Amino acid sequence: MTRVLIADDSETILLLLRTRLEMEGYEVLTAADGVEVIEAMRAADPGPDILLLDAMMPRKSGIDALRELRADGVKTPTLIVSAHQDQMDAGAATDVEVSGYVTKPIDFEALFARIAELTET
Amino acid sequence: MIGVARFLQQRQDFENATARSYQLEIAARNRLAAGTHTSGARAVIVTQQHKRQQLREDIDGETRDTALLVGAGLIAGLTGAALLFSGLISSMRRPLEELVEASGRLAGGDLEARVKVGGLSETAALGSAFNEMAAELQRRAGERDQLETMKDEFVLTASHELRSPLTSVQGFAELLMLEREKLSPKQADTVEIILDNTRHLVRLLNDLLDLARSDAGRLTIKPTPTDAGPLVEDAARTMRSQTEAKGQSLHLRADPNLPRINVDRDRIRQVLVNLLTNAHEYCPEGAAIGVTAKRHDTEVEMIVSDDGPGMAADQLEHIFERFTRGDAGLTQHVGGTGLGLAISKSLVELHGGTIAAESSPGRGSTFRIHLPAIPADAADGPKTGVPVDFSAHRQEGAL
Repeated sequence: MTRVLIADDSETILLLLRTRLEMEGYEVLTAADGVEVIEAMRAADPGPDILLLDAMMPRKSGIDALRELRADGVKTPTLIVSAHQDQMDAGAATDVEVSGYVTKPIDFEALFARIAELTET
Repeated sequence: MIGVARFLQQRQDFENATARSYQLEIAARNRLAAGTHTSGARAVIVTQQHKRQQLREDIDGETRDTALLVGAGLIAGLTGAALLFSGLISSMRRPLEELVEASGRLAGGDLEARVKVGGLSETAALGSAFNEMAAELQRRAGERDQLETMKDEFVLTASHELRSPLTSVQGFAELLMLEREKLSPKQADTVEIILDNTRHLVRLLNDLLDLARSDAGRLTIKPTPTDAGPLVEDAARTMRSQTEAKGQSLHLRADPNLPRINVDRDRIRQVLVNLLTNAHEYCPEGAAIGVTAKRHDTEVEMIVSDDGPGMAADQLEHIFERFTRGDAGLTQHVGGTGLGLAISKSLVELHGGTIAAESSPGRGSTFRIHLPAIPADAADGPKTGVPVDFSAHRQEGAL
């Protein structure tokens, strides 16, 4: 079963994402910020197949968490969720390897298609 | 002045001498008439007549000399005055030229424009008044810029903060609709209303965000060489189900051999969808809507037209301003935000194009977009016949 790690500081968004992803048949891990993302990545065995990280979170942003993970050699495909285009542009300007961006409100059909594409083996 | 006084004195002397001569001659004539000293009297008369003749010749000569003198004096005076004035003028001219130049720069938006204060007291006063005015303008512009920045930041932040709860509302409403069969018809309708309104709020947020970006000069486009035909087809395809639901016809006509255009596909598509949405929403059931793309000199012209209610001239005049909506928008259920055309105009102009509207009541509306075509020799690859690969573009962009 494909494992998805989702990170968002909003419990409601996490619940929404978890519900929709589980309905699609994915196994879901959650994190409330970037620090928890890194902890979850170390603890999870096997590691998730794909990360879905909110760009802006307290303590550590999704982008910063991903930067650390990439420095540690983590190659897991990652989608960054951002509130709007400006954040996306800011994110795209960094040197971090990102698989794609998702804007809020989330178009779930497009998101599922993208996850399927990135986790195909 | 000396010349004139001398001239007057000479005239006076001449008049006195002449009068004295006449007196002597008259006395001699009286003596002649009385018969006394007749020979002496005759000599006096002749002498006096000669004397007056001499006096007249002298005065004529002297007057001419004086006139010459006065003339020379006048010329010298004028030359002096001219020299004095040219000195005066040049001492005024430099500061005035500087003022003209600085005013030009200030009017052109250079709020740093100042002049050196100096020269005559009047020009110095003018110069310092100008500098005070420029400083005041700069201060106010600074305050205004600060307010604008605060406004833009506010809109960006508000948009971000509102987006998360909206994502939840829309997401959970969609979740309910996934299990529509478990809802009563009334519940399903209720959820549909929640979804409709959420989508409207999202559109409003997106539009406000675009306008704030536009105001802040941060509305950016990522142009790539694009075929106009597929772009217009794509916009029409997006609208097809909505126009069909309202019994409206949607005619698409894209000329073959259209030149390519250097545009941000998503943004021009947004403009076309906005125009088509307006036509769809403001036109009654059964209306005819058309979207056309054709070559127009060195440009590609995209036309969105309808045979709907149209607009009056006073309404047409303000159609591209913010929060301007057609009458139908106030009375019927029209989903627009009143920002679409203002954003469309910004976006088209950002591409170096133009957008214009023609309409009159009862005769429908026509919107024309003109976008510069890529010159045939500069186009990379074939101009036509190759469909644009939208999927490749989507992969780079957002979901």
